[in-house]
Amino acid sequence: MRHVGTILGTAIAGMFVMSVWGAFAGAYGIGGGWFAGFAIISIMWYLNHYIGIHNNHGAWVDMALGIGVAGTMRDVFSSGIQVGIDALPTLAVVILGGLAGGYFAVQLEKVNSEG
Amino acid sequence: MTIQNMITTFAGAFIFPFLIRLAWGRLVEDHGPIGGWLAGGFIVGTTWTLTHGVGFIVQTGAWVDMAWAAGVGLFLASAISGDDSSAGFVNAFFAIVGGVLGGFILSNLAMFS
Repeated sequence: MRHVGTILGTAIAGMFVMSVWGAFAGAYGIGGGWFAGFAIISIMWYLNHYIGIHNNHGAWVDMALGIGVAGTMRDVFSSGIQVGIDALPTLAVVILGGLAGGYFAVQLEKVNSEG
Repeated sequence: MTIQNMITTFAGAFIFPFLIRLAWGRLVEDHGPIGGWLAGGFIVGTTWTLTHGVGFIVQTGAWVDMAWAAGVGLFLASAISGDDSSAGFVNAFFAIVGGVLGGFILSNLAMFS
């Protein structure tokens, strides 16, 4: 049932982010996009990570992983596999940038905790 | 994707998990769950203005969200801090299943199909 919680939590978060967010940005521009982050991520974080229906024993799996997959797969399901292949350059750079950001954050945490 | 595109895409992807890992937990420690609400706006909302609002993350096909960067970056950060990565991979599998399910449902929405 814990894994069901992860599936439901990420599916719901992914659907909100990958439809409503763009609608807010489309209607109100960059301020709408900022507000969408506040309105959607707040409650989705609360559900998935604070109440904790998203299973998280072991290394941290963020709801963001499911959200990222939902956005890419939305387009693959609606437009076909070619758009997924076309996305690979962006995906590769985003993954490398994300790994570097996580790595350096931990290094700085260590420096800070040493005082 | 040009070299210029790669530079901004990398930078945008770097910043998102970097901010989350360093600031989100502290916000919750200091303010309780309301700190998580603040983080939704001031970490995710504000980073979105950079990555997707002004377009640091350059798209070449199916949508690649800044969430991908947070998903992989936060997992790596946790794993190199000593958390059990084999248990994490099991949970990552189900998070991906949930993401595929959410993406499939969305693809049936009139605005995308």
